[in-house]
Amino acid sequence: MEPRGLPRLLMHLANGLVILFIMLPIVAVVLGSLQPERTLQGESRRVIPSEWTLDNFTVILTQGQQKGRIFEQATYLPDNIKSFYRAFANSLIVALGVTLLTVGFGALSAYTVARLELRWALWLMQANVVARFLPAIVLMIPLYVVVRSLGQLNTLHAVVLTETGFLLPYAIVILVPFFANIPADLEDAARIDGCTHFQAFWRIILPLSAPGLAACAVIMFIISWHELLIPLILNSRPEFMTLPVIVASLVGDVHVFFNLLMAICLLSLLPTVILVALLQRYVVEGLAAGAVKG
Amino acid sequence: MALLAPESLGDANRAGKDARRGTGELSRGALGVAMNLPTIGLLLLVLAYPVVYAGYLSLHQVGIAQLRRGVFPWNNGDNYARLLEDPLFALALKNTILFTLLVVGVEVVLAIAIALLLNQASLWTSRLARLLILIPYGVPPITNGLIWSFMYSFQFGFLNRVLFSSGLINEPVNWAGNPNTALYAVAVAYIWRTLPFAVLIVHAALQGIPRELHEAATVDGASAWQRFRSITLPLLMPVIIIILILRTSFAFAVFEEILAITQGGPGDASYVAAWYTYKLTFSPPNNIGMGAASAYVLALLVGLFAIAYVRLLYRRIA
Repeated sequence: MEPRGLPRLLMHLANGLVILFIMLPIVAVVLGSLQPERTLQGESRRVIPSEWTLDNFTVILTQGQQKGRIFEQATYLPDNIKSFYRAFANSLIVALGVTLLTVGFGALSAYTVARLELRWALWLMQANVVARFLPAIVLMIPLYVVVRSLGQLNTLHAVVLTETGFLLPYAIVILVPFFANIPADLEDAARIDGCTHFQAFWRIILPLSAPGLAACAVIMFIISWHELLIPLILNSRPEFMTLPVIVASLVGDVHVFFNLLMAICLLSLLPTVILVALLQRYVVEGLAAGAVKG
Repeated sequence: MALLAPESLGDANRAGKDARRGTGELSRGALGVAMNLPTIGLLLLVLAYPVVYAGYLSLHQVGIAQLRRGVFPWNNGDNYARLLEDPLFALALKNTILFTLLVVGVEVVLAIAIALLLNQASLWTSRLARLLILIPYGVPPITNGLIWSFMYSFQFGFLNRVLFSSGLINEPVNWAGNPNTALYAVAVAYIWRTLPFAVLIVHAALQGIPRELHEAATVDGASAWQRFRSITLPLLMPVIIIILILRTSFAFAVFEEILAITQGGPGDASYVAAWYTYKLTFSPPNNIGMGAASAYVLALLVGLFAIAYVRLLYRRIA
C-alpha cells in the first residue's frame, strides 16, 4: 500500500521534520566546535561562521601544550581539559571492565533462568526486572557512605564493581530471550551425547547466542560509557575521573566558552555514536529483546 | 547418564576439559546456584544492601561530622518530617511529576507517529530517517545536556541563530533562563535523547503485525484511520504500555540534563527530585540522612511503576 499524491508529500515533509529534529543538535555541536570564540560571540545571529578553526580540538588533544591561535591570549584553562586522555582511558577501562563482567555474569544467570527450569530462577528474573528501575541516585547515597568507610573512594575498581551490579539486571533481561530462543532439541541432543548441562551451555548455547551476546555487550558498553552519577560521586580526583565527569565539571565554568565546550562534547560522544552507527542491528535487537520479550 | 550428587563447579569444569562424560555432573539445582553466585553476590552487595542501608541512613542523623566519627545518631524520623515541610521538596516533586507526564505523553504519541512514518519503506526520506533515528541513543546524557545548553543560550545559542537566520524571530528568546519555560526546555532535550528507544520498540512491534490484516481490512473498505484505530493501535497496546511504564520511571529520575542546562534554575524553577536529592547530599552542608530520606521517597514512587511493569510482563508471558 504505497501512499501517493498529497499523503506522500506530507509524509516526506514529516520525515523532513523528524530528520531536522534529530540533526539540529548534532549540527550545533559540530559547528560550535569548529569556530573560534570570536565569531561565536561577535556573530551571534549567524548559523555558519565566517571563520573556521581546529584549535579547539588542538588544545584539548595536546592537553593544553599547543594552544593554537585562538587560545594564545588565554591564561587559564581548566585542569580537567588537560586530563582528557586520562579521562578517556579511564572511561575505556571502566566500560570494557563493566561490559566483560556484565556479559559474563549475565550469561551464567540468563542460562539458568532460560534453560534450567528452576522455580527460584524465575523469582530471580523478576527481581532483576524490578532492580532495573532503581534510580542510581538512590543507591549512590548509601554506596558513597560504604565505599568511603572502606577507603575505596577514588579507585576505578569501585566504579567498575558498582556499575556492574547496577547494570547486571538489565544484561540478564536482555540475554534471557536470546537463550530461550535456541531450539531445545540442540541441547537435548548434546545431553544425549553425554554433555553435562554446563558443557551444553558452554559449547551449544553460548556459541549459538553470539548475536545476543554481542547485542548485550554493545548496550552495556554504551550505558557504561554514558554513566555520570556513579563515577561523579565515587571519584573526585582528576586522575580517576571518567569522560562524563570531566564534561560535567565544565558546567558553569565561566572561563570555558561554547567553542571549547562543544569540542569536548563532540569528542565524548563520538565513540558511542560511531558504535551505534556501526552496530545498529545489534543495538536494535538488544533493546527490543530487553524491553519487550523479557 | 546418571545425575550425581551436587559437587563443586570446579568438578564440572574439569569434567568438561577432560571430555570425560558423566563423571561429576551437578544436579540442575546445584548448577543453577553455582552459576548464579556472582550475580546474587553482586545484587546483594550493590543493590539489596544499599537499599536497606539507605533506609537506615534516612532514619539517622548523618552529616560530614557524623561520617568522620562513624556514629550516626537516631533522629526519630526527623529527616522525613523536615523533608515534608520543605517547600523546595514539594516543588521538586511537583516539577518531577509535570516533567514526567509531559515527557511520557509526548514520547508515546511521537513514537507511534514516527514509527508509522519510518515503516513506509517506499519513501526514501523514511529510509534516511530510519538510518539516523538511533544517533541520539549514542550521545551521553551529560553531553546531551551541554549541547542543549548551547542550543538554548540566550545570547549565543544555536536555536536563536537558526531562528534569526530564517527570520522567525527578531529578538533573542531566553529558552532555558525563563522560569516559565526552563522545565519545558529540559524536557525537549530529554525527549531528544530518549525518543529513539521508544520509536525503535514501536517500530519492531509494527513489523510484527501481519500485512494480511491490513489488506483484508482494505478490501472490506476500511479507511486508513479506521485500520489504525482497530488493527494497529490495539496490537501496539502492550508495547505502548511498556514504554509508558519504562519511561515514566526513568523520567522520574532525570538528572544529567537538569545538571547541564539549568542546575535547577533559574531560581529553583526547574528543581526535580533527583537534583534535589543530589544537592542536599553532595553539596554543603551535606545532609546525607535527609538526602537518603528524599531518595527513599523517589524510590518508592518508582517502585510502584516497577511492580506494575513486572506484573504486566509476567501476566502476558504466563
